[in-house]
Amino acid sequence: MTGTGYTWLLPVLVLLPLAGALVLLAVPLLSDRLAAWIGTAIGGVTLLLSLLAAFVTWDRGFGRMQLQARTDWISALGLEASLGLDGVSTPLVLLTALLAVLTCLHLTRAEPDRLLVVCVLTVTGGAIATFTALDLLLFFVAFETVLIPMWFVIGVWGDGRQEGQPANAAARFVLYTAAGSAVMLLGIILVITRTGTSDITELIQRGGAGLSATTQTVAAVLIVIGLAVKTPMWPLHTWLPPAHTIAPTTGSVLLAGVLLKLGTYGLVRVAVPILPAGMANVAPWLGGFAVTGIVWAGLACLVERDLKRLVALSSVAHMGFVLLGVASMTPTGLQGALFANIAHGVVSALLFFVVGALKDRQHSSDLQQLGPGLRDRMPRLGWLLTFGAVAGLGLPGLAVFWGELLAVAGAWQSSGLGMLNRPFAVIAAAGTVIAAAYWLRVLRVLWQGRPEPGQGPDATRHETVTMMPLVLATVGLGLVPGPLLGATAGVVRLLLPGGGAVP
Amino acid sequence: MLTETSARLTGVPSIDLVALLPVIAPVVALLLILLADALRPGLRLPSDLIGLAGLLTAAGGVAYLALDGEDRNTACSGGFVVTTGQTGPTRLPESLSPAEFGFGCSYVVSDLTLAVQGIVLLGAVACLLLALNGPGAKDRTAHHTLLLATVAGATALAGARDLATLTVALETATLPTIGLIALRRDAQGAQAAVTMLLTAIASLGMLLLGIGLLFLATGSLYLFRIADVLAAGPDRPVLVVAVAGAVLSLAGIGFKVSLVPFHMWTPDTYAGAPLPIAAFLSTVSKAAGVSAAVVLLGIGLPALHEAWAPLIGILAVLTMTVGNLIALRQNVAVRLLAWSTVAQAGWVMLPFAAAGPSRDSVREATAGAIGYLLAYVVASLAVFAVVVLVARHHRSGEEHTLQTYRGLSRTEPVASAVLAFALLCLAGLPPGVMGLIAKVVALRPVVDAEVWPVAVIAALNVALALAYYLRWVALLVAPGDRSAPRWRLRPAEGIVLGGAAAGCLGLSVGAEVIAGLLPGILH
Repeated sequence: MTGTGYTWLLPVLVLLPLAGALVLLAVPLLSDRLAAWIGTAIGGVTLLLSLLAAFVTWDRGFGRMQLQARTDWISALGLEASLGLDGVSTPLVLLTALLAVLTCLHLTRAEPDRLLVVCVLTVTGGAIATFTALDLLLFFVAFETVLIPMWFVIGVWGDGRQEGQPANAAARFVLYTAAGSAVMLLGIILVITRTGTSDITELIQRGGAGLSATTQTVAAVLIVIGLAVKTPMWPLHTWLPPAHTIAPTTGSVLLAGVLLKLGTYGLVRVAVPILPAGMANVAPWLGGFAVTGIVWAGLACLVERDLKRLVALSSVAHMGFVLLGVASMTPTGLQGALFANIAHGVVSALLFFVVGALKDRQHSSDLQQLGPGLRDRMPRLGWLLTFGAVAGLGLPGLAVFWGELLAVAGAWQSSGLGMLNRPFAVIAAAGTVIAAAYWLRVLRVLWQGRPEPGQGPDATRHETVTMMPLVLATVGLGLVPGPLLGATAGVVRLLLPGGGAVP
Repeated sequence: MLTETSARLTGVPSIDLVALLPVIAPVVALLLILLADALRPGLRLPSDLIGLAGLLTAAGGVAYLALDGEDRNTACSGGFVVTTGQTGPTRLPESLSPAEFGFGCSYVVSDLTLAVQGIVLLGAVACLLLALNGPGAKDRTAHHTLLLATVAGATALAGARDLATLTVALETATLPTIGLIALRRDAQGAQAAVTMLLTAIASLGMLLLGIGLLFLATGSLYLFRIADVLAAGPDRPVLVVAVAGAVLSLAGIGFKVSLVPFHMWTPDTYAGAPLPIAAFLSTVSKAAGVSAAVVLLGIGLPALHEAWAPLIGILAVLTMTVGNLIALRQNVAVRLLAWSTVAQAGWVMLPFAAAGPSRDSVREATAGAIGYLLAYVVASLAVFAVVVLVARHHRSGEEHTLQTYRGLSRTEPVASAVLAFALLCLAGLPPGVMGLIAKVVALRPVVDAEVWPVAVIAALNVALALAYYLRWVALLVAPGDRSAPRWRLRPAEGIVLGGAAAGCLGLSVGAEVIAGLLPGILH
């Protein structure tokens, strides 16, 4: 049952932010601050609509595609503009809409700029389109839509204290991801020409039927490489630290909370269900790179001196858990991956807000320059940082814990990873220890110690209001993981070959 | 009726004037301009209007023929043989089919013909409008007549279905451009014209040699007949001669398309020509070259695909890689565009790397090439429209560097938005959906045929090209001189800028046009 009514919801969800961006772009008379408030309002409406969409989808059952809307677009390529929402996409749409509101709200005080709001709204629309697209080519077009606005955000509003750095970081970001997605496009075209359809629901139902194992493997390799650049997977992650570090707070939050999710969503929506036989061959490699990334990024964090860069590198480690969960090809692992995906989005967005606030005050995010005694100097920011850090190290009761636990458990029981399943799980578990070590190191340097006199003010009410929803979400997901796990529970079985039965 | 009777009496094939309207209209306009110039030298508006009217009539003809939907063949040889020692042509006996003796039609109106003619005329109208205040103002008669002659050649080329017509049309589309390039009338312009002249002669030599070999191998000039002979599986020596002919003709055509390694003339010529002429070369001339390749390979030589498809694959990826790598280092806007058009030529030819034994795969490849060509031409016109405007408003003129664009979005927001959008279309990234779909269309046959090395190198070239297109876009939004004088847009330039922008936007929303340009069979 696709259900009737509310079919306007998803097209509106996609088009509203894009139309808002277009209007703000076309009206140069608006003041920057007003533009930020308009952006916040558009984001707010988007959030309300996505809550409505989530409610309707929940009501009708997360297990199937709900609220489907479709229309012909390019029939010569078989491309239909079709959208739908299920348990995998709903949380991601909610997260995207929430971050759109928060980043626009952030922009009303700090560094307001009309064109930056345009970029934020375009990224929002593109990301929602990616999360709801039910056509492979439409998915690809939407996937690419976020690139250019994000490139602008990093290149134009990046931290320009060193000449040419924002341009370099932005160029590296866009060239890496564009090269990756061009390779992914080859895989997508291969799937479409061999199956004769680009309808994702249809392709998921077929579950790779009609595609030879070789074709599936080639397509899976191409698609996974493309998505792995975006996710990012070690060793294709080298665009991420400079991009995150140079980007303004808005950009870092969007990168961590929205862009990185596109890659993992693609793996779960496209690679795993459509090319099961191919993924079976690719999964051990994916798992290997994932655990390498967890350990490598963790070790890098142990010696990293720049706090913003550290948060960025820790993202590579967190996404390693997500990739490991996907590579396990088990319901547990996949659910863990999807949970960790959302959790990482919430927690790293929070951390980037905090680090951005610190950086605004000290004009540096170097651990030495930020200095000791944060607890006494800026208690509110200090507590928020501590909260983000303990969430990031996977403290039970906070969001990240559940996702990583399930991902590791999935890897442990995975048959797809073969002999390597338990070694991978053990190495990944060791990664959480490293995470604890580097976050505690940060806290030892920043939170404790004797403060130096003459420092900036504590978090304003505006900043606190911006960050609070993320704190609440972290606690909420940590204490009550049930609803999110319930949303994905039904779907992951449909996405895995053979209903995800563990032999 | 009259033409049929005369055909029966003289042996000269009958002519369908409506089918040939896209070719005849520019020629008539050309003659009228010459006549007007002879009667009253120095007329301005009338010759502009006659030139435009000629192009628009031709475009109207294309539109009529497309709506009519009927396939027309004309200039068909009806099977007359002129033998020595007799007084007149003799008709073949009824029992023998003309086709068996190597006869056929020289000009065919098909989807392919009309699509290419549409693209050519689109580019020609835009370039004529752009030139009205530049080279078209100083040497109005010379510019308009040379341009119309080129257009007539290019439109004839699209419909040409025999080797002689193909060659004559291709040269008609090439030789007048030498005069157009020389219109700049300085040392650099002269040098550019000489470069083009030498290139044209060299490529003509190769083309003629190649065509001679093809005729020798197959015994016919008609492409359909050549295709039949080659498909019938001739002896090995015949095949060798035919392949040699195909490769040589391809090299000759490769010059026009500026495929690497036949591209060396492109940057110097573009930089030496007046800017609107550079735009003309990169759109109309390139479309003519592409259509020559498409007609020759797709219609005449599909049976030799095993020889030319790998060759085109290598040339295409070489072309885009070399073009993109050198474009990365360019600082003068028009030189960057010249190298970027070299790279784009690789993309246009890319689908042919996948041509296989089936008619359908050749059709797919042709559809991909023509679809890409359309997107490329529309985006190029938008870019050139802005470049021409910048050249007119800045001291450094036509040789301006990319730094001239620094901060342009603050003084000229609309023009910079058009430029940025068109550059993203060329790069193939949203919001330039048109370019992305064109890349999908071009890549699809290659992926379908699983020519992986070619496909992967092409995919990586997307990122390579993105680097310089984005460098340009970044300059537009960089902080710059806010006090620069506002532009004064002339109506003709406004029409081109608006039209090309509308084209980019329209084709991005309605990308169906790019993907579905050639729905029917290829002929």
